[in-house]
Amino acid sequence: MQLARVEGSMIATRKHPSLNGWRMLICQPLDAEGKAEGTPIIAIDPYGAGMHQKVIVSSDGLTARKFVGDDLSPVRQIIIAIVDETTEEQAA
Amino acid sequence: MRLGSVIGRVTLSQTIPQLKGARWLVVSPHNREHFQSGAEPLNTITEEPSLVVYDNLGGGVGDTIGFVEGREAASPFDPPIPIDAINAALVDETFYTPKEDA
Repeated sequence: MQLARVEGSMIATRKHPSLNGWRMLICQPLDAEGKAEGTPIIAIDPYGAGMHQKVIVSSDGLTARKFVGDDLSPVRQIIIAIVDETTEEQAA
Repeated sequence: MRLGSVIGRVTLSQTIPQLKGARWLVVSPHNREHFQSGAEPLNTITEEPSLVVYDNLGGGVGDTIGFVEGREAASPFDPPIPIDAINAALVDETFYTPKEDA
């Protein structure tokens, strides 16, 4: 699972039918300090995350397929949590 | 799912039975700089390694597509066929407003 920040959304009318009606958000993975790191990925969003909100993205297709309700769906990344705050414990 | 520009197509002559008659696109994946707001396809070759993507949505050269990699790419096939990248969406428009880090 990755900590990421919502930085946009995407519209695609022609797509796999199981994705119909799902919001597809552009999520930018973050590193430990919360800075952007790596390539943005597109995740489907069941919770209505807002712009620039921190979210947790799971890249487990089984979870996404259960959410979408279609076992033949190629969906993979899905937002499974919206983060309130992150606290960093210094290693002892 | 990652975004990428379709830069070409592949036609297979010799292939295993499951992959017969499939349509393949050569895709150049976008990285952070290539994300933008708008409906205009970027249609560029990036420095990311390109890959071949299975396509049954009719993506053409120059389109921006959303493709899924990994085992999930073979999920739509029962029994699953040996592919690890599939075109899952033809992108119409993206809205991208990156937040600059302090």
